[in-house]
Amino acid sequence: MMMATGLWRTHILIGLALLNMVIGLVFISATNTPAHAITAEEMLANPVLEERARNLSKQLRCLVCQNQSIDDSDADLARDLRREVRSQIAAGTSDDAIIDQLRAKYGDYVLLNPPLDQATLFLWLSPLGFILLGGLIVMMARRQRGAAITTELEAAERARIEKMLASRDIENRPKT
Amino acid sequence: MMSQMRLSFLLPLVAFGILALVGGMALYGTLSGSRDPTQLPSVFVDKPAPQTNLPRLVQTGSTTGNNVSVTMFQGKPVLVNFFASWCAPCRAEAPALEMLSKRVAILGIAYKDRGEDTTAFLQQYGNPFQAIGMDADGRTGIEWGVYGVPETYLLDANGVVKLRHAGPLTRGVLETTIFPALEALGL
Repeated sequence: MMMATGLWRTHILIGLALLNMVIGLVFISATNTPAHAITAEEMLANPVLEERARNLSKQLRCLVCQNQSIDDSDADLARDLRREVRSQIAAGTSDDAIIDQLRAKYGDYVLLNPPLDQATLFLWLSPLGFILLGGLIVMMARRQRGAAITTELEAAERARIEKMLASRDIENRPKT
Repeated sequence: MMSQMRLSFLLPLVAFGILALVGGMALYGTLSGSRDPTQLPSVFVDKPAPQTNLPRLVQTGSTTGNNVSVTMFQGKPVLVNFFASWCAPCRAEAPALEMLSKRVAILGIAYKDRGEDTTAFLQQYGNPFQAIGMDADGRTGIEWGVYGVPETYLLDANGVVKLRHAGPLTRGVLETTIFPALEALGL
């Protein structure tokens, strides 16, 4: 009976640990679904510059839809921002300078990938924290199970087992 | 041994409890209105407003070469209101702007609008603006970090942004944010 509750507990612990790890992984993984909001006439003629524009657009948040990049979104503002990015690229502005310009107008919120600073430290470190927590729980659960198996039997238990074993000796057992 | 087992059994529950508490507090903050997720912060607050130079709308619906800029109002506070004839909440806030125009100069910026449409809008809902600049392609909106009309900025006498409100100026917004900001500027 003691043994059974111990195992049951261990299973719950491992279950919780796995759940924790899954939460951690969900935090880490960014879903990337392809979309085609961009129209042909928006595109730059030079494929290298266009590639840069697409790459930048994927990092910039559409501020009206809030969880789409301007590359994904059909919103008017997203189109305006795509046009802004392309006109800057065509004017020879570097990628970093374009990002910095938009940050100066819309703040860090325009970046889909939030920069690592004091305000976002928890956000960036929490997936690692979840995985460490999960690992810790697995370790504790394993150690607990190991301990349950190697624990020495008490003298009274040993005597009881020996008595049971003796009574299992069917050949020698007197018929009652 | 027993106490250690009980402790390790409680650990995930404690972790879950902390998570639930943090999440619950964030949710409560959102629901109780202290943090509105549709209100994005403006980076311009307490910084100089962007240089703005736009074609001025004249009442006939055409524009003149005499441009509109924020520096026109240098030396006194000004309310800058981004609006458009195609924007329904802009109609709703028209009476609020009319009332505010008696307290502070208002510069209107018609965002992605056509002159004749803007004129028709002003004829129907009133014109609280001292001047109207036409931001036909929305570039000026991007300069100011506008993400949707209506948006209202309050600038002090030095052209520094004191307040930005995104969305219509409802009675609640006027009372909780706009009026106190005007009073702080001595208006």
